[in-house]
Amino acid sequence: MKNLLKMFLGFLAILSFTGIVKADYPEKPITMVIPFGPGGSHDLNARVFTSIVPQYLGNAIIVKLVPGASGQTGTAMVAQAKPDGYTLLFTHNYVDQLQHHVKKLPYKPLEDFVTVARINYAAACMIVLSKSKYKSVQDVFDAAKSSGGKMKLGHSGMWGATMVPMAQLLSWGKVQANLTPYKGGGPMVKGLLSGDVEAVLHFPSVIKGQGSKVRTLGCGSNEKALGSPPTFDSLGFTGQIGYMDRILMAPAKTPPDRIKKLQDALGKLKGDKTFKKFMGRLGENMEFMNGPDYEKVRAEKSKNYKNLVKQMTKG
Amino acid sequence: MYESFLNSFPILFGSGNFLTIIFVVALGLLIGLFVGALPGLTTLMAMAIVLPISFFMDPLVGIPFLIGVYKGGIFGGSIPAILVSLPGTGASVATTFDGPPLTKQGKGRKALETALFSSVIADFSSDIVTILLIGPIALIALLIGPPELAAILFLSILIISSTSNGSVGKNMIMLAVGLLIAMIGQDPIAALSRFTFDVFELRAGIPLLPMLIGLFAIPEILINIESKAKQFVQSKVNIKKEQRLTWKEFLALRKTIFRSTMIGTTIGMIPGVGQVVAAFVGYAAAKNASPNPEKFGKGELEGIAAPEAANNAVNGPTLVPLLTLGIPGDNVTAILLGAFVAHGLRPGPQLMTEQGSIVFAILLCMLLANVLFLILGYFTMPLFSKVVSIKKSYLLPLTIVFAFAGSFVFRHNPADLYFLLFFGIFGYILKKLEFDVTPLVMAFILAPSLEYAFGQTLSLGDDSLIKYLLLERPIAALIICATPIITWKLWKRSKRLRNVAAEITSKQVS
Repeated sequence: MKNLLKMFLGFLAILSFTGIVKADYPEKPITMVIPFGPGGSHDLNARVFTSIVPQYLGNAIIVKLVPGASGQTGTAMVAQAKPDGYTLLFTHNYVDQLQHHVKKLPYKPLEDFVTVARINYAAACMIVLSKSKYKSVQDVFDAAKSSGGKMKLGHSGMWGATMVPMAQLLSWGKVQANLTPYKGGGPMVKGLLSGDVEAVLHFPSVIKGQGSKVRTLGCGSNEKALGSPPTFDSLGFTGQIGYMDRILMAPAKTPPDRIKKLQDALGKLKGDKTFKKFMGRLGENMEFMNGPDYEKVRAEKSKNYKNLVKQMTKG
Repeated sequence: MYESFLNSFPILFGSGNFLTIIFVVALGLLIGLFVGALPGLTTLMAMAIVLPISFFMDPLVGIPFLIGVYKGGIFGGSIPAILVSLPGTGASVATTFDGPPLTKQGKGRKALETALFSSVIADFSSDIVTILLIGPIALIALLIGPPELAAILFLSILIISSTSNGSVGKNMIMLAVGLLIAMIGQDPIAALSRFTFDVFELRAGIPLLPMLIGLFAIPEILINIESKAKQFVQSKVNIKKEQRLTWKEFLALRKTIFRSTMIGTTIGMIPGVGQVVAAFVGYAAAKNASPNPEKFGKGELEGIAAPEAANNAVNGPTLVPLLTLGIPGDNVTAILLGAFVAHGLRPGPQLMTEQGSIVFAILLCMLLANVLFLILGYFTMPLFSKVVSIKKSYLLPLTIVFAFAGSFVFRHNPADLYFLLFFGIFGYILKKLEFDVTPLVMAFILAPSLEYAFGQTLSLGDDSLIKYLLLERPIAALIICATPIITWKLWKRSKRLRNVAAEITSKQVS
């Protein structure tokens, strides 16, 4: 027990030392809050890039998972943190740009945060079982119409990354369906495999693992790894649909030169071989977008979501 | 399938990596053991932190390393539960019933060894069942949809509440309180706020860890402070000669371990139910089967063996949906999924057919981890059991520090300390009023899943729920019909057992 006690005291000592701030940014490890649980796609992507960026940044990035209240707990924590560049938020567009249209939040996402960079995105695809009779997105729409809105479709959580694009697609096809929620992407695939629901949206990295069990009817972007199924654009849908942008945010008052330093370091990821190797294996793309570029899309996306939410909560 | 199973042996033993594998598994087990033993640091966090390290290892080194952390961590959580009544997860709550009483009698080491042997045996057996029955288990996983899960969870809550200590009336009150506080926060489906009174800290709901520590550790500490004249550990059973588990005692536990292993393995096959239910059901079953149920909760070795064997037996089958369907059943398996994927192995139907031998090699690693853990655990247990030799005047404040630190490091949220205090005082009052908090904790842990599954069932059933259940969901309908019968039988049985216990106590008094 004495050893244990010593370990504990040593641990406390290390903790207190890390609190000392030195001169040049970043002189101590940066904390990156992920407002979701462990094991999700944000966690995985973060584990990869936070193990590579430090060699360009000069200090470590520590991942801190703060799940709860659909991402609000972690987001609020960063909103209240000191804007010194040592606390960042790794989130996605639905938490950042849609949630405040649905409920009252203790922070204003668009005003309280500024984009450091978009690390990458995942574009949702519509899938059905291979043995299903539906061969195209239109088939699904037709079936939904003839079922009188009773066709069973699944999504992975209210106002989440597969529910919003599904709602967008349905409203574009002018059809209704029975949308059943699942507790995340995994259970949703199980719901599809066991035939509880007939079609779902999911991301290419997961679809690839299902192999010949599922058929992809359409995707948000051109997915070569899935054999380039039709994009929603080519089917006539206008505007980006189903893009989950994995974005790194900083409190709005963070000094610009510090943000610039982060952006420079992150920008070097694209040329990094290790990064490329792991992202390839994860089935994720490397469509990096710098902060200022993303800021332009950000406000517009938020406006689109506002209309969508209005439309959906009307009925 | 058999061919890939046979091919897995040369992959594991012939690669020249075998010694490395043994080393990393042992290292992982130790990391997991120590992290799990520190309250507030969960196995999950430990795994997330070491995940990037495993990226840079060979797949058959990196994944066994994580499996080591996982197995070590789950057992580690039981150590503070046994010694100072500090449960780190829901799965070790049932171990706090008999662990601390044993520690007080100076039998801490005995209790730890019982936990170790039961865990390892149960885990080992469930892994073997998993290897033999991987195909059928995958089919069962697909049969269990939201309606079946809702029915099973509902039945579990009823079983556990009706077999808990204390009067049925009090247990039902605790059950209702548990369900009510589980509703605080956002509702699981539509994410609307409920009972939050616009307090932001309540929006994410009541956090489990501070609540567990509050309900189980704080009352224990307060009651110890009350009895300040006595030693925390009775002075006559001193450190010099620690009592160890005898071969005879171990043999007497074999039925309990076997029963709990069966229960745990079966529960593990049902996705979404998990270790917590297994531990409680294992405990309840052992108590029901015992000739002296009145000894449970007062320091019975069976009371340790039953929940520990049951919750570890869940481990094997939970991996099946991940390996065969590519669907992680919980957060831990989600992290394992990440490790697989980063190594270019994407679990799912394809991996099973194309690289089945790697899957089996990994399952063999789990067996190996168990054997290693038996050895490692055996030599590290004395270190942990030394805790009981600390003077009460040091141990109690130290436990308080660990309780607060554990609640805080969990999410670094100061509000959690208020939750800890609230539930500590609440738990103390309940203890004084002789309420058993088990139904409350169970209801709290299972309510969100139950509500979710029920909501999904309503959605899937559309406007004709009964028709849907009868025509499309015969399994769920069957479980629902059996629920009142099973509950009635168990209730009558436990009532009889309680009467027996009451008689014995009254005889002892007179």
